[in-house]
Amino acid sequence: MRRLGGEVWFGLILLALCSAVAVLAPVLAPYDPRAFSGQPLERPSRAHPLGTNDVGQDILSELIYGARVSLTVALAAGAGTVLLGLLVGGMAGYAGGWLDQALMRLVDGMLSLPRLPLLILFATFLGSGLPQTIAVISFLFWPTTARVVRAQVQSVRQRGYVRMARQFGASHLYVFLRHILPAIGPLIAYGLVTSAGQAVAMEAGLAFLGLGDPLVQSWGLMMRFALNLPGLFLTDRWLWWLLPPALCITLLILALALIGIGLERNLNPRLARRWR
Amino acid sequence: MGVGRRAFVYLLTFWVILTLNFLLPRLLPGDPLAALLDPSSSDYVYDPEVRAALAAYYGLDRPLPEQYGRYLLGALTGDLGRSIRLNRPVAELVVGRLPWTLLLVGTALLFSSALALLTGTESAWRRGSWADRGLVSASILLANVPVYFVGMMLLLLFGARLRWLPLAGGRTPFARYPSALAAALDIGRHLILPALTLTLAMLGAKFLLVRNATVNILGEDFMLVARAKGLPEGRLKWGHALRNALLPFVAHLAAHAGMAVTGAVFIETLFSYPGMGRLIFESVTARDYPVIQGAFLVVSAVVLTANFLADLISLRLDPRLREGGAVG
Repeated sequence: MRRLGGEVWFGLILLALCSAVAVLAPVLAPYDPRAFSGQPLERPSRAHPLGTNDVGQDILSELIYGARVSLTVALAAGAGTVLLGLLVGGMAGYAGGWLDQALMRLVDGMLSLPRLPLLILFATFLGSGLPQTIAVISFLFWPTTARVVRAQVQSVRQRGYVRMARQFGASHLYVFLRHILPAIGPLIAYGLVTSAGQAVAMEAGLAFLGLGDPLVQSWGLMMRFALNLPGLFLTDRWLWWLLPPALCITLLILALALIGIGLERNLNPRLARRWR
Repeated sequence: MGVGRRAFVYLLTFWVILTLNFLLPRLLPGDPLAALLDPSSSDYVYDPEVRAALAAYYGLDRPLPEQYGRYLLGALTGDLGRSIRLNRPVAELVVGRLPWTLLLVGTALLFSSALALLTGTESAWRRGSWADRGLVSASILLANVPVYFVGMMLLLLFGARLRWLPLAGGRTPFARYPSALAAALDIGRHLILPALTLTLAMLGAKFLLVRNATVNILGEDFMLVARAKGLPEGRLKWGHALRNALLPFVAHLAAHAGMAVTGAVFIETLFSYPGMGRLIFESVTARDYPVIQGAFLVVSAVVLTANFLADLISLRLDPRLREGGAVG
């Protein structure tokens, strides 16, 4: 590992902060986010630091519990994407031949599909629960990871020590677990972080468009309800209702992106020169 | 890969999209028409005559292959079904909305590309300077911040705070224009904020692409030779460095078309801009399934066409790709 840059630390600290808020939500939140703890559309006060929403729920509590949703999506969809990508990319790169050809054509095809419209179509017909959203995001975002994994596996497979291991009678599974997986480990970490960031943006975007789980109070859903209020921008209500969730999503995505940039730099020393 | 083969791959992709669009509602739960015919659903139509008429109207009483055939034929002849909400042909709705999106995306594509090419080359030329570092940091920020956040900030600043520009819409409602110029000016004024948002959203990624490509090119031998020949700086920068950076730039235009569409959906929703994205948003809110599907098809077709065009331009610009074999 090379020395981590400042922006990576910034990303890590933001991510840790967000995770802490998510874990400690019941302790930190002043109210149950679902409880109607005040009058509708209250301005910020001592009792409600960020006021209340259109049905009288405490916005700060909603915001704190929203961290759980976004991090769940980040973790689950990130892991789903990487697992699928690892499976397909690993198989294609290791097996080679016609299987490689077929799988890579599939990847090319999927990469040329417009993602957001497809995501909307799936979300429309699959229903808008959080598990469905996670599944759809994983299903649509794996090809990028698969392509990178395949390239790396292909190059590792040709190396002397791997060929040697095969000659000594090591099984495919053994070679894969013992030699290939460690070699693509950093790549997986990078893929996990970047797809987690994309997943957070997409989940919030879907909720924002009205395709999110209406029962899960996510940051995206908060933005949707805030924007649904007629004349939101005519008063300064957006300041404590719309801005905080938008800012939270942005910071989380930014944190993941910064960590990703740091990992990418470690993966590819040529990039280090380029970014400097 | 030659032109023919590329065209074939895109046609195949479009066929997959067409088929997905047909199969998804029939395979997945949550189809509104199926709900009308399903005894266990709350929307079940009890009158058997009405039920049969409904099924016949939507062709659901036919065998699946025949439904598929009719669907393909319809889609290819421009029949995308009827909107449940507005009871108008989907194709008509799309035709009314598509120009707005093309205007928005086209404007943003133009400005972001021009800006990225200029600043990217300049930044690479002075790599390591404070200006370069600042631009790279700003671009990383821009490339990763969600587009709706950028839009919100601009909307708040210019629309709500300063009140310089209209908050929403594609033109002033119920306006009667004395001349074509007045109409163009009004449409232009409404276009500024959404187009600026989309430009900024795309600028980050494009800038980084141009800058990094140019930095690599500056290290090439031919640059050294050109410099040794004593060519003037401007010629080196724009005639040699930028010109070669155009290749990866155009090659990535295809990926940017998809990005632009994603951006347009959010931006049009945010600014109530009357394009395809807003149409998708409205249909999602109203659960107007035929419109969602029709809009999906049209948007996919547009993105695939843009990808194909970008490929064609790449082929024209870079003869190495035309040789086939090694590179393709």
